[in-house]
Amino acid sequence: MVVHRSKWRWSRTGWQRLLVVLLWLGHGIWALLGPAPGRHWASVAGTLARPSQGLAARWTQWRATRRESARSFAETRAENARLATELAQLRTQAAQEAPRLAEADEAVRLLGLKRQIPLDLMAARVVFSTRPAAFGGLILDRGRDLGLVPDQGVLVPEGIVGRLWSVGPTQAKILPADAPNASVAVMLIRSRATGVLQGLGSGRALIRYVSNQEVVQVGEAVLTSGLDRVFPRGLLVGYVAEVAQGDLELRVVVNLSAPLDRISAVLLLPPQPPVEVQPPFVAPEQKPQRKRGTP
Amino acid sequence: MRILAPPALRQHLLCAIALGLVFLCAPFPRLQAVVHVVLVLALAPRAGSPLTGVLWAAAAGWALEGTLRLYPHMGGTAWADMTFALLAGWMAGRWPLEGVKGWLARLAGLVVAHTLLAHLAVRLAAGPHAWGSGWFWSLLSLPLWGWAVWRVLYAGPSPRRG
Repeated sequence: MVVHRSKWRWSRTGWQRLLVVLLWLGHGIWALLGPAPGRHWASVAGTLARPSQGLAARWTQWRATRRESARSFAETRAENARLATELAQLRTQAAQEAPRLAEADEAVRLLGLKRQIPLDLMAARVVFSTRPAAFGGLILDRGRDLGLVPDQGVLVPEGIVGRLWSVGPTQAKILPADAPNASVAVMLIRSRATGVLQGLGSGRALIRYVSNQEVVQVGEAVLTSGLDRVFPRGLLVGYVAEVAQGDLELRVVVNLSAPLDRISAVLLLPPQPPVEVQPPFVAPEQKPQRKRGTP
Repeated sequence: MRILAPPALRQHLLCAIALGLVFLCAPFPRLQAVVHVVLVLALAPRAGSPLTGVLWAAAAGWALEGTLRLYPHMGGTAWADMTFALLAGWMAGRWPLEGVKGWLARLAGLVVAHTLLAHLAVRLAAGPHAWGSGWFWSLLSLPLWGWAVWRVLYAGPSPRRG
């Protein structure tokens, strides 16, 4: 087998054609590239990099969102701390104001009671309590300087407290109604049966001298009868807690309505008040009359 | 009757004159467009000699765009000129001229196609641009310059004809 080998050479026509092709292609490429040749490569690179750019954008957005969340969380924590501090300050302030508010509330209630009883009542503040001790009582901040005398009745809006036991120059001692040596003339609100209240301690008292024939119900209100000339008739004393039959009389145990352990201010009745006082006549407030034609 | 190829020297002289006119007609764009089209489509193409036609066409395109000084990136017109010089030269070898009518018809088709390709190439190279009215004047004056080129190149006295 004979292999014909010919030496390859460029002819003049071939060189011319190559030059033509190069010129034509060069011009074409030059024209296609345009004024900014790099923009084509940038476009291709941008197309190829679009997915990664999307991922990068999402990553950046996620980081920005997380940074914003962290910042808002820090701001929230700071605000929370500030609010906690402010709340503590307000609680401290409220705790500081609480006694004053309670005193003001008590004063308002005493004022209401004073308006309901048409007597010359005097107010005093309880400065000390010796009730846990034997024959203990309540110490008031006023005494003879206010014209107080023993056996003046003492009451609060919830009910009677007791009577003045001893009066000093600037202080007075209250004998509470639940003291064993205290006695108050009372009556039951339904049966109108009268008796004498004697203290049992711890806010309880016993009504004596109530006949076995009387019908007393548990929960029945007990009022002052006014017969002791210490309290006028009709002041609330307490409510019946127990009723038991005795040999000659009923054994009626009463829960006193006045919170003897939590009294800070009291009202003092005048010495030997009348047996019965009428509640004051409170005229209805007159509305300002308007003239016709005026708004 | 088959028309013979014109003398190369005469053709190159006419191309050189047309190229000079392209430069000189720069203040008159419409006339310059006509001269440019004459050089690219009628004078430069030559069957069997693509390199000379391509060189003259490229020179015409660069001269036109260079004197116009409007495009941010030149070369589009030159590329379109080279393409159509090659096409016209190939057509001259593939379908030799047989008369002035066929010559004018071929020139008309080449003018229209060259206009479209030149606009496309310039658009690719330099971006969007106005069409202008050079193509219109070239097509309108085609009978005149086509007949003149025919007379000068193909119908004139030739040493080959004796």
